[in-house]
Parts: sequence; structure tokens; C-alpha cells
Amino acid sequence: MELFVQLLITGVMVGSIYALVALGWTLIYKCSGVLNLAMGELTLIGAYVCLSLYTWGIPFPLALLGTLIVGFVLGLLTERLFLRRLIGESILTVIMVTVGLSFFFRGVVEFIWGTDTRVFFPPVFPIEPIKFGNIVIGQVYLWSFLAAIVLLLVFVALFKYTRWGLSMQATADDEMASLSLGVSVKVVYALAWAIAFMAAGVGGTLLGNINGLNISVGYLGLLVLPAVVLGGLNSVPGAIVGGITIGILQNLADGYLSRFTPGGVKEIAPFAFMVIILLFKPYGLWGWVRIERV
Amino acid sequence: MYLPCGVYHEKYRQDHAWWQTTFVRAKMIFLFLLLLVIIPQFANLYLISVANIVGYTILAAMGVQLLIGYCGQITLGHAAFIAVGAYTSAILMLQYGLPYPVSIAAAAIVAGLWSVLFGLPSARVKGFYLIMTTMAAQFITVDFVITQYVSKIGGRGHYFSLPPGTITVGPWVIDSEMKVYYVMIILVILCTFGMANLLRTRVGRAWIAIRDNDIAAEAMGVNVVKYKLLAFFVAGVLGGIAGAFWISSLFFVSPEHFTWSWSLWLVGVILIGGVGTLHGTIFGSMFMTLVLEGLKFAFMPLSGVYPQLLEKFLYVKEAAFGLAIVLFLLFEPKGLAYRWWQIKNYFNLWPFSY
Repeated sequence: MELFVQLLITGVMVGSIYALVALGWTLIYKCSGVLNLAMGELTLIGAYVCLSLYTWGIPFPLALLGTLIVGFVLGLLTERLFLRRLIGESILTVIMVTVGLSFFFRGVVEFIWGTDTRVFFPPVFPIEPIKFGNIVIGQVYLWSFLAAIVLLLVFVALFKYTRWGLSMQATADDEMASLSLGVSVKVVYALAWAIAFMAAGVGGTLLGNINGLNISVGYLGLLVLPAVVLGGLNSVPGAIVGGITIGILQNLADGYLSRFTPGGVKEIAPFAFMVIILLFKPYGLWGWVRIERV
Repeated sequence: MYLPCGVYHEKYRQDHAWWQTTFVRAKMIFLFLLLLVIIPQFANLYLISVANIVGYTILAAMGVQLLIGYCGQITLGHAAFIAVGAYTSAILMLQYGLPYPVSIAAAAIVAGLWSVLFGLPSARVKGFYLIMTTMAAQFITVDFVITQYVSKIGGRGHYFSLPPGTITVGPWVIDSEMKVYYVMIILVILCTFGMANLLRTRVGRAWIAIRDNDIAAEAMGVNVVKYKLLAFFVAGVLGGIAGAFWISSLFFVSPEHFTWSWSLWLVGVILIGGVGTLHGTIFGSMFMTLVLEGLKFAFMPLSGVYPQLLEKFLYVKEAAFGLAIVLFLLFEPKGLAYRWWQIKNYFNLWPFSY
């Protein structure tokens, strides 16, 4: 039972980071209909930028702020240079452009920062774990959880209450109608990409704090896909619930199933789970069911 | 189909023929001579090894072309089926001592069936969700089943290495680049012919109907599920053949040869070549392999100035590939095959081309 609670809590905390990145993914999909496979590389870029700033001696909160700014600018640039031309193209084209971007970004990241594992030194968060009875939680996890939750709340509030957030919602609902009401859809697309870059960057930084930072942090970007499929592609609450669920599931699978297999269960479980979901609930928990007509 | 003036068909056989004019037949014979005689005679070993990489890419990308270009089922996990083929072939030869051609056939069938297993969700989902299931196929097959279970068969360590003399076709031992080249060229020719003819039959037309609009195809009496699964099977067969060829050219096989990047790379190859054209596969494979080899030569002189560049070449290659896909999709969305068609058209219509 203790093992279960321990796994559950760790799962929720890691899952909140996944939820943050999944939120960025869903924003892009909701607003512009782009299925983004470059999410992992966005997390890598953010994480490495933050690491560089931190190793130059900038305090961590400021480094995180710098990451957000760099992410914002890169997001605007990516959208302007590559994605804006693709409005209305077929799904394969859009996906493969993001795949091409992911190769490009990964190549650039590897070229600049190499492939060795790097750690945040000196450690950002205290190393001593906190104990609740028999359950042990690393402070890194706790702080990451808090940071992720705060950012999630900020983004959701932005989405719900600000003018730009409302115009993003309008665009997601009906692009043509919002265009005719004077919403600048271009700005909305650019904002969606900027927010995705920022969310992914922070997510990558937090994960890099937990396990050290190398190219495999980009694997996070793939884990986002089961999360959003579970939640339904175009649902913001779905992305958050999906991310946390995938985090829990991954930890439970690691804790309970890995003794029956030689290894690798942790990496596979989310994908196996995703296939099963797709077979029974093809539109996820809260996705829009689309009716096709010829 | 384009036919010059003065070609009169008298029988239906002529009308159905694959190569209808003398010019096309002569072109094909020249191509055979080029591939089977001239290139092996005059090319040096480096060019032959590059040609083998091109051939492997063609074989591997052909299944992707079938699924994406002809049947409209987007797959991002084709490397999984190549891996299944490679491992089946390697295990049959190492554990049971079967001859190479038998192991190729077995690899093709096993990979085809494995592919059908992961094609089953296509009966229910499509578009992005299908992409997700093919990605899951990649991770489940390569990162889990093969890495954790299959590569432990026989206790050979992480990768299977095939001792010299294991790969035999009848009396010949495949042990040099030149012999690998012949194996490659025969497999590529057989697969291309098979595919080109399959696409002219009822099956191929059903696939194209499904690609263009699956609901309309179903309304017209095409059994969509059956033909989708058939497409997955044939694509898996082609992947299996590619995998079986891979071990003959490298003499060892490891799960790291079949990463997700390789699946994406194959999709990029057909996009650059041209989606929905068989010769696009060949153009794309040649372009990607040759351009990247050329990039290597361009980087050699620079390495004197900045020595780290050579060891970081892999990353440059990755970034260049990504950028190539993006630029092709933005500026040349129909791929190289469309350029080829334009060039041909220019000469066909000359002097009235515009």
C-alpha cells in the first residue's frame, strides 16, 4: 500500500509536468489545427537555454524568466517562418513539417550543446527529501509540481479571462466566424506557438532538474501524445487530466510490471495504454466527435 | 498515359501492355544494362557502397510509399517492420542455418503479418489517431519486444553478428560489396516490378480509391477494411525484404538501426521524392543519400579550419535533413517526381511546350 501511495504521488508530480507540456500542444492544435510532433525538441531547447543561463550565474527564477522570453520569441519566429504558409494544407504535410522542424531543432541542439548529460550545478532545489510518515518525496519533485501547477493556472486563466485568450477560444471554435468578427487569427496562431514554446521550455527545465539533462528529455515530447489522445485532442482540461494520468500510469507500470519483464516497461506503458484507449474510445475523454460527410 | 503519334493498338493485349512503345522498351533495356553491367564494371567500391545504401532506402521506403502514397494510411512506424524482417532473417540463418533466399521469404511473411496486427486499428481510426497507433507499433516492437526479448535469443549479446560465410545464395557466399550490390539490384528490381504491376490491378485501384476518399470507396463496393489490411500486409512484406537485405549488407543487426528517426526519415524520403509515385520513391532515396554524401565532402575541407565540425557532422546531417523536408514541403510540395514529369513533358511537347 505504501508503495502504491508513493508511486501515485510521484506519478502525479511528474504527470503535472507532462500536463504543462500537453497544454501547450493542445493550444496549438485547438487554435490552428496543427498536429505538432516537434514538442520534444521544444522542451529540449527550453531546457538547454535555461541550463546555459543558469551556468552563467544567473539565479534560477531569472533564468526561468529568460527561458520564457526566449521561448516566446522562438515560438513567434517558428510560426511566422514555417507554419503560417501551411494553413489549410493536408494533415500529412503539416505533420511532416513539424517532423522536419523536430529534426532541425534536435540537430541544432546537439550541435550547440552536445549529447552528454548535464546537470544543473549547483543544484537548484535542496537534495534532502521530505518525509510524510513512510512516504518520501524529493524536493525537486515537490517544487516542480508547484511550479507546473502555478503555470498551468496562469495559462488557463490567460485562456479564460484575457482578451487574447478569448480570441484564441473563438478561433478554436470557428475560424471563419472569428475572422469576420475582427479577431486577428494570425496573432492567435503566433500566440499559440509562443505559449507552447514557453510551456514546453519550462516543462523541460523541470524534468532536467529531476534527472539531469540530455537529449532523451526530448522523449517527453512523445509522452505528450498519449496524454492528449487520452484527454481528447482539443480539450484543455483533457490535456491536464491526460498528462497527470499518463504520469501516474507510467510510475505504476514501472513499480508493478517491471519485475515481470527484462525492462523497458516504463517507456512502453503509455503507448500500449494509448492503443487500447484508441480501440475503445477513439475521441478520447473530451474530444469533439466529428461526423464525416462525403 | 502519354503516347506519341503513330502508335496504333490492334489488340487489347497491346492496350494493356506495360511498356507500350519501342522507346520505352529501349529505355528499360538500357536501364537494365546500366544497373547490371555498366555500374558494376566501372564504379569503384565507394560508389557501390553508396548504391547499396540507396537500394536499401528504396526497399525500405517502398512500403511507406504504398501505405501513404497509394492507400492514404499515414504510418510513422515503418522501421518496426523492417526490424522484424531483419531479425527474422538473422535468427533463421543463425539458429537454423537456412539459406538466405528462404530466410528473405520468411522474413517478408513474418513482417507482413506483424504489420497487419498493427494495421488492425486502421479499421476503426484514421488520420492523426492512426498515426498514433503506428507510432505505438514502433515503440512496442523495436524498443520493447525486440530489444528486451528477441535480441536475447541465442545469448549473443546486444546485437546479432553474422559470421562470414553465413549468408549464402545457392553456391555463392555473399561477402563483398559487389555481391551485395547484385543482391540489392535484384531485390529492388523485383520489388519495383511487383509493386508497379500490383498498382495496375484491381487491388491497386481499390487502394487508390481508399486514399482519395474512403467513404466514397466503401459506398462503391470496395471492402475498405480488407484492402487497408492488405495494404498493411504488402507494406510489411516490403519492409521485411528491406530488413533481410540490411543484414546481408552490414553482417550484423542491432535494435539501434531501426529507431523512430529512421521511420520518419523514410516518410521524408517519399515526401521529397513525391507522394503517390513509385519512381518518386527512387528519386527521393537517391536524393537524400547522395545529397548527404555530398554534404560530407563539402564539410571535409572545412574541418581543417574547425576540427570539431567533423565529429559533429552527424548533427549537421540531422538538421540538414529536417530543413530539407520543411523546405521541400513549403516550396516543392509535389516532390522531385513532379519536376521529372515537367522535364519529360517539356521534351514531349517540344517545340510547343510552355
